[in-house]
Formats: sequence, structure tokens, C-alpha cells
Amino acid sequence: MKALDKTTAQKIKLAIFVIAGLSLFILGVYLIGNQQSMFGSNARIFATFNNINGLKIGNNVRYGGLNVGTVKGIRMVNDSTIVVDLTIKKDALGYIRKNAKAALGTDGLVGNMIINIVPGSEEIGLLNAEDTIHSYRRITTEDMLSTLNVTNENAAMLTADLLKITRAINSGEGTISYLLKDSTMALNLEQSIRYFRQTAASTSKMISHMDDLIVSLNNKNNVIGLLRDSVTANQLKSVVSNLETTGNDMNKLVANLNATVTRAKEGDGAINYLSNDKSLVKKIDTSVNSLDATLHNLNEASIKLNENLEALKHNILFRGYFKKLEKEKEKQLEKEIK
Amino acid sequence: MGTQKTINSLQVFLTEVGDISYFAGRFFTDVFKRPFEFKEFLRQCYNMGNRSLLLVGVTGFIIGLVFTLQSRPTLQEFGAVAWMPSMVGISIIREIGPIITALICAGRIGSGIGAELGSMRVTEQIDAMEVSGTNPFKYLVITRILATTFMLPILVIIGDAIALYGSYLVENIKGDVSFQLYFSEVFSSLEFGDVIPSTIKSFFFGFAIGLVGCYKGYNCDKGTEGVGLAANSAVVYTSLLLFVIDFVAVLVADLFYEL
Amino acid sequence: MKKNTINSNAVITIRDLKKSYGDNYVLNGFNLDLYEGENLVIMGKSGSGKSVMIKCLIGLEEHDSGTVIIMGKNIDDLDHDELDELRTEIGFLFQGSALYDSMSVRENLEFPLRRHTKKFGEINDASPLVMEALESVGLARAVDLMPSELSGGMKRRIALARTLILKPQIILYDEPTTGLDPITSKEIVLLMKSVQEKYKTSSIIITHDVDCARAISNRMILLVDGINYAEGTYEELVEMEDPKIKAFFK
Repeated sequence: MKALDKTTAQKIKLAIFVIAGLSLFILGVYLIGNQQSMFGSNARIFATFNNINGLKIGNNVRYGGLNVGTVKGIRMVNDSTIVVDLTIKKDALGYIRKNAKAALGTDGLVGNMIINIVPGSEEIGLLNAEDTIHSYRRITTEDMLSTLNVTNENAAMLTADLLKITRAINSGEGTISYLLKDSTMALNLEQSIRYFRQTAASTSKMISHMDDLIVSLNNKNNVIGLLRDSVTANQLKSVVSNLETTGNDMNKLVANLNATVTRAKEGDGAINYLSNDKSLVKKIDTSVNSLDATLHNLNEASIKLNENLEALKHNILFRGYFKKLEKEKEKQLEKEIK
Repeated sequence: MGTQKTINSLQVFLTEVGDISYFAGRFFTDVFKRPFEFKEFLRQCYNMGNRSLLLVGVTGFIIGLVFTLQSRPTLQEFGAVAWMPSMVGISIIREIGPIITALICAGRIGSGIGAELGSMRVTEQIDAMEVSGTNPFKYLVITRILATTFMLPILVIIGDAIALYGSYLVENIKGDVSFQLYFSEVFSSLEFGDVIPSTIKSFFFGFAIGLVGCYKGYNCDKGTEGVGLAANSAVVYTSLLLFVIDFVAVLVADLFYEL
Repeated sequence: MKKNTINSNAVITIRDLKKSYGDNYVLNGFNLDLYEGENLVIMGKSGSGKSVMIKCLIGLEEHDSGTVIIMGKNIDDLDHDELDELRTEIGFLFQGSALYDSMSVRENLEFPLRRHTKKFGEINDASPLVMEALESVGLARAVDLMPSELSGGMKRRIALARTLILKPQIILYDEPTTGLDPITSKEIVLLMKSVQEKYKTSSIIITHDVDCARAISNRMILLVDGINYAEGTYEELVEMEDPKIKAFFK
């Protein structure tokens, strides 16, 4: 009887072992299947894209950040349209509107591609199974840089106009110069001078910000140089060159202002006329101040850009590239030393 | 002289491969013939499955632990520690789990079979079975090969689970990752294309361990030395064969599932 | 001598048996007749092919040529199942006992029964058969021991009990007294005799132990150079003047 008990115990232990193994296996298969929406009731919808950026079958579909399904199939229907087959949980389908849009994204910086379904407006009816939704174009870094370029062009134009105005004042053309020639202004000379001083101080502050901007851009030369050959780089280049023009114009502006002040000091007839119009001086002052603020902002923007590029440097993907660059630099240095 | 030696060793090698193939062929022709030695099969399953569990469990646990500890600094450098569960999950399920478990079992089970059958051959126990009307091939060889074939995948699955648990412990202590997060990350990165081929592969691993162990033991030379040699060469040949099977399995899996 | 004729009383007949390993002829035309109820001792030096002969007889080794007829059946004509059935009538006591290490004594004895339902019908409880066989070798108390717990002499007796459990008509003993001390050897020889009386078996005993041969033999064959060199009773052989024969009885 003892022997029989032993084999029975063995059989029970074996059964426990086998059941444990099989249930682990089934659990694993179930969990994986669950992730791929293989079980439970699902519905099929379609999304059209121009560019799927390497989306693969099995990638997740999210609605409001929640996983609601997976990509089941990808096929081309014509030269510019790709239709993606999506399997969506039935209960999630009850919340997606007909005008919802699909957008491609990545799971983390270098993770898998995902499809985000962006909610549509509420007055439109709910999506049915087998319906098709459209997609957003993906916003890229290129788009962001081209917007920045336009901003800079505008700033350049602004300073150019300002330059024209000051020049006109100097050469005594138009209303402002007429006002300057007016003899009734003499009494307020002192006040005007004070305002001019303030203006000069602001201008110098502005110049120093300008300087900072240029310096920070200069520092980034290596960073920008990296992107030398791409479209992005060209855009960045034009941004910088615009900023340069702006700076040059600014210099001329300041020089002109200087001349104006000198003449006022020298007591040509102009002093009298000028001192009579405080508001004009104030206006110039505020305009210079606002220009200063603009430049300050630009400077901050450039510092941020620099930070971004710095962050990019630390990003794992570009890291190797930057390291290589540094190494090359070092090599060049060594060569020069030799 | 040199070429003669090469030819001789080649001949020995080919004879060996031929013998093993013949042995495997005999297994396949006899496995479906009555009578089935079911009780002995269960006994062998118990011996090979349950009794290897501790060894496989401890090894798996340590592998999971060490693997995670070792790869953590590198991932940290890239700021990709969040990828740890996926990375560990995929590598353990696809490759490390099956091959480590199989190697451990080749050492434990393969040598055990080689030595047991070898000593049975030497002490004429196999002849005694033959004479008493029991087909020793069916009773000893088929049950053992079947037992290893069916037990190894289960051992691999349990070993995988324990290894993942070990890896989770490290992540939990070092990175404060919760159990749920860890395992949902693991399973979200896994696909059937990872699990199915490695499970099928495990069956072949088990078959190889049983086949070579039985072949070496069953055809053991007379004498105590023969038993040692049988056990030893069972382990060596099995380990080698495991890697060959692994290689072929990866190639085949590659064909069926795009990587 | 009635050579090359088959005696009707013979349970085993071997004619012109040849067996070689490579170029080395171990058996070179061996002849043998085993008559019902007799104890035939085959003597020879170690390596003279005694064990090979007995293994060819039961089909463990394939012979190169010659005929082996057991109880009227030529073993070359039998398929595996028929051979197994024939083997239930033949007990084989191995040189080293060959008990199954991983099984208890009880399981060792039950083992031969599991495939021989034809002879005994379906066996629900093998215990009475096991106990009967154990009692005939005087070791009923060892039923739940493992082989590793037994002494050499006990192992030999358990092995004998295992061959007896199938109630065979023929028992082949391969060196039954090798590796045992003289006293235990004597016990085994006595046991063999009592078994023969109880079960009415015919036996072939292979040995190089002269004492054992004298005690048990009805007839003897000397196996020298792969052939049956001399045949006769113990007394007849002792009287012979041939130096090769004399060498055995020094």
C-alpha cells in the first residue's frame, strides 16, 4: 500500500506541475491576444492617409490616449492614398463621431508608431462599423521652422521701415522735419534732452540684447552647421541672415539717432523746433523700447532654440552624431596645433 | 596520414549521425504501436518535470535578475529604462528562456538518461527486460523521449515566468515599477510570433535531449567506463544539437513570421 | 551419439551454430540437445563463447548461421511477438542478477507478468504469485526492499524468483555462482536443485565452477574453440585423458 501512495502522490504533483505550466501558457497567450484585440467583440473601421510613416500591422490605435484597438491591415488604393484597416473595440466605437480624424504619432520619442483618433464635433452622429475616417497631416519640425522664418522676415521689414523714418527725420523731409524746424520748441529743450538720454539708454540696452542674440546665434553655429545640407538648415540660415540685416539696420538707425542728437546739441535752429515737440520724442522712445522688447523676445527665442538644440544633442539618437562631430573638431584642433 | 585521419573521423561522425537517425526512425515507428507504457511515461514525466523544476526555477530567477541588472546601466544611459520590460520580455521568451532551460535539462536529464540506460545496458537489465517479454525500447526509450519532449516546453514556460519575475523584482527595487505596469509592458511588446515559435522550438529541444540521452545510454559500451562515457557524450552531443536546432528554428521562424 | 538428428524428447536443439565478431569466430559449428527434465552444464573458459551461445539461443544476439529450435519452433521463423510468447516458457538468470535498480523487489517480480496476460489471463492482483515465487527462494521478507539493499546472494535468489514467476519450462543459468562466496554458492546450487524438483524444469547451466557443475549436472558439454569439444556425465569427463579436458578438472 505504501508504494501505491507514493505513485499517487507523484501523479498529483505531476498534474499540478503540468496544470501550472499550461495555465501560465494560456494566460500568456490570452494577455498577448488581448493586447492585439483578438478576443472580445470588435468592429472594423478604415482610415485614409497620404503618408503612413512606417506604420505596421499590429500597431496600437488610441482614442483620447486610451488603447482601443490595433492596425489590422494596410493597403494602397491609389498613388496618394493608403487605407489602413483598424480593429476597434465595440464599446469604444460608441463614442467616436463620424468626423473624428486619425493622426499618426509615435509612442515616445523613438517608440512604435500609433494612430491617434482625434475626437470630432459633438453635433455629428456616431461612427458605424466599416466607416472611413480621414486623417490629419502630421505637424513636423520643418513646419515649425518655416513659421519662425516668416516671423523673422516680418521683424526685418519692421526695422527697415523704422530706419526709413529716422533717416527722413534727419534729412529734414516731411512733417516731422517741418516740426523740427519750428521755432516754438526751444523752451522744452531741456526736457527733450532728458528724453533723448532715456532713448539712448534704451537703445544701448537694445543693442546689448541684439549683441546677446548674435552671440548666442554664433555659439550655435556648430549646431546649425550640422543641419547644413537639409532644407531646415537653409531656413535656419535665412533666419540668421535676416537677423543680421536687422542688426545692420539697427546700427544705422542708432547712428542716425546720434547725428540727430548731436545736431540738437550744437544748437542749430533745429534745437528749438525739436524741443517744442515732446510727444514726438516720447514716441520715438517708445518705438525704440518696443523694438528693444521685440529683440529681447527674439533673443529669448534664440536662447530657447539653442536649448532645444542642446537637448537634441543629448537625445540618444543624435548623440552618436554629435560625438562624432566633436571628435572631428578635436582632430582638426590637433592638426592645427601640429 | 592527415587525410586518412580526417576520412576516418568523418566516417565515425557520419556513422554516429546515421545511427542516431536510425534510432530516431525506430522511435517514430514504435511510438504509435501498442502497447503504450503509460504508467512509466508518467513516472518519467514526474522525474524529468517536477524534479527539474527547482533547478530550472533557480536558474531562471537568477538569469532574469542578472540580465536586468546588467542591461540596466546601458538603457539608463540612453534614457530608455522604460523599455526594460519589453526588452527583457522579448529576449527571455524568444531565446534565453528556451535555450538556458534546455541546456540545464541537457545537463540534468540528458546525462541522467545516459547514465541510467547505460548502467542498465551494462548490468544486462535491458537484456532481462527483452527476455521477460517487455520491449525495452518501448518501455525505456519511448517513454523517456516522450517525457522530455512534453516536459521541456512546460519547464521552459515556468522558467520564463520565473525569469520575468526575477527581472521584475530588480525593476521594482531599482526603478519603482509596479507589478501591473511591468507585466503589461512585457505583454504589450510580445506577439504570437514570439511565443509560438519558441514553444515549438522547446518541443524539439526536449526531443533532442531525450533522443541523444537514450541513444547514448541504450548503445552504451560494456563496462563502467562505458557508462561514464555515455553520460558525458550525451550532454556534449545534446548541447551541440540544441544550438543547431536553435539556429534552424530561428531560420524557419523567420520564414513564417516577419521579424 | 545421434548427431544431426532431432531427438523427439529434446526441448532445445542447436545445430551448427556459428557466430563471429569481425574476423573472430566465437562459435564455430556448435551443437546441443537439451532433453526434458535434465540439467545440462556447459563448461568453458571465460571468453570461450558460452554467454554468446546462450544469448543466441534466446534471441538476444543474432547468430550468423545454424538452427536453433526451441520446443519445436525455429526461432528464426518467429516474429517479435511470437518470440516474446516463446520467451515466457524460458527463464533466464543473468550473470549479475540484472535486477531493475529503480524498482522494489515486488515491482521487479511483477515486471515480467505485465506483458504476459496470454499465459495467465488478466492479473488483478499479482501478490499471491509474487509471494509464491519469493517463498520458493526463501526470501518472502524482502518483498518491499530495493535491490540496492540486498546482498549479492540475495540478489541472485530474487533474480531466480523473477524467472520463476512466469513458471517457465526451461531455465537458462548464466554463471549462477560467479562473484559469490563458496558457502553462498552452495546455497544457490541447492536452491537450483529444489527449484528443478518443484517446477519440473529443464535447465542449461553455464559455469566454469567445477563444484557447481558436479553438484548439479546430469550431463555436461565442454565448449572449447567454438565447438562442443566433449560430452558426457561429470564422471565420464573426469576420466578422459585429453589435456584440454584435463585442464578443467585440476
